[in-house]
Amino acid sequence: MSFGQLGLVALALYVVFLAGIAELARRARRDASSADHFLAGRELGVFVLFLTLYATAYSGNSLLGYPAEAYRRGFSWIMATGFMMSIVVAFHALVPRLRPVALREGFVTPGDWVRHRFGGESAGRALLLAVSLLMIAALANFLFAQLKALGLMAEQVTEGLVSYEWGVVLLAATVLAYETLGGMRAVAWTDAAQALLMMAGLLALLVWLLTEMGGIAGISAAIAQLRPAAAAVPDAIERANWASTVVLMGLASVVYPQAIQRVYAARDARSLRRSMAWMTFMPLTTTLVVTWIGLAAIPRFAGLGVVEADTVMPRLLGEWAEAGPLAMGLAVLVFLGALAAIMSTADSVLLSLGSMLAGDLLGRSHGEPATARLGKRTAAVVMVAMALLALVARDITLWGLIELKMELLIQCVPAFLLALHWRGLRARPTLLGLVAGTAIAVAGVALGAKRVGGVHVGVIGLSVNAALACGLSLWGARRGSGPLGD
Amino acid sequence: MPAVRRASVRRWLLVAIGLLYALSIPWYRRGGEAPDLVFGVPDWVAVATACYVAVAVLNALAWQLTDIPEDPERDPP
Repeated sequence: MSFGQLGLVALALYVVFLAGIAELARRARRDASSADHFLAGRELGVFVLFLTLYATAYSGNSLLGYPAEAYRRGFSWIMATGFMMSIVVAFHALVPRLRPVALREGFVTPGDWVRHRFGGESAGRALLLAVSLLMIAALANFLFAQLKALGLMAEQVTEGLVSYEWGVVLLAATVLAYETLGGMRAVAWTDAAQALLMMAGLLALLVWLLTEMGGIAGISAAIAQLRPAAAAVPDAIERANWASTVVLMGLASVVYPQAIQRVYAARDARSLRRSMAWMTFMPLTTTLVVTWIGLAAIPRFAGLGVVEADTVMPRLLGEWAEAGPLAMGLAVLVFLGALAAIMSTADSVLLSLGSMLAGDLLGRSHGEPATARLGKRTAAVVMVAMALLALVARDITLWGLIELKMELLIQCVPAFLLALHWRGLRARPTLLGLVAGTAIAVAGVALGAKRVGGVHVGVIGLSVNAALACGLSLWGARRGSGPLGD
Repeated sequence: MPAVRRASVRRWLLVAIGLLYALSIPWYRRGGEAPDLVFGVPDWVAVATACYVAVAVLNALAWQLTDIPEDPERDPP
């Protein structure tokens, strides 16, 4: 049996396994409410919570985009380990404050916090809409990136027996089906299986590469000889970009809707605390590993183009598969783990999208079963739209998509982190800050100036955003009930 | 450990994490310089990796010391 045929069989078996999990999750349903569908009845214990957080955070971007970026940039991509860890550090500012209110008020969506905190002010509704629109735009972008990665992986694992286009369509339909049937339970359970598969597969691949290439020293020496700039000390702009990326990823990831919803879905504080403590080590076992996999690709595949570099991981797996029957079996397992990781992120995004579209944007009550149904339908529409986009827009790198998403999402930070820590923050200044920050980020991207001196326009936008939100709130408070103080 | 002491230790851990992040970026070297190899990797990569390992340990400790009230009497802040 060839590698492609073995990949096709493994892929088919995996889809059947997912269908089984979805059916089990459907039977475990307690009621038809939004809290049960979107938050699994708030009963995720430490093990499943940790694995679902892990599988959600480490997506197709991590598995395809990060090795590709390590291939393009060289050793400075060690920054990825730092910025993935900064997410778990930044959660210190959110979790201890948000979790108690969420529990008491029965929050389901991120917008529930904005409604609760700013709902009494005249600009509260507009702020809720603005935050929801930004988050939904970021999630749609994220879904697009996952679908693109799904198509690439399916094509590679089956050696073209399943084309990129059919990969996108079939796997998107699979994700949509099991998410609709089983909700958060199906998502969390499949996440757990996917996370274990991914971790084991990546470590096996790295061990093979290290054995093949003379260990870490062998890879470093080969890079220093072939591309000295990739091993040299980063220049001032690259260092500024390093710091900016840590800030961008750390802060923006904290307001990921699907991450916020997992904070709501935890069974208790102990589960949350332990999951976070375990999560902090995951960049060392995942991001650092994929960074080294990308670095090992530099001497193996010289001269790949910018977009072509997104395929370094599948190319390495293809080479590994040629080393013998055992290697082929393991390579298929890694492919499947990667595919599973991408699907696990796509399903989490889809679930959050559905809940936000129905609850935050269309303003439906979480208690009604009709809300969960509406959420599923609207998410399906977005899924179809993103799948169509993934079929036509192929000339954009996965890392490019991540940056774009983060630069939008980070503008929501004041409405969450500042609002949780400072009672003086008002709705209208927060809204003005968000609009200004988003305008700066969008203008920067549209004009092709995504970074200024290495600093992301989204981070510059956030600085203006936070300054406006704080300054105008203080000014409004001094003027009494002025127009900006609300 | 009493709650006040726990909160104080947690704060210092977070400060140390911030310092480690600052140290992880090679501000201390001139850009473009060829690196020396330490344990088979460029020296500045070894420093960054060591910083991130330390961040992971300190952050895990900080999470163990984090109080997350399950039944709050009033809203934050």
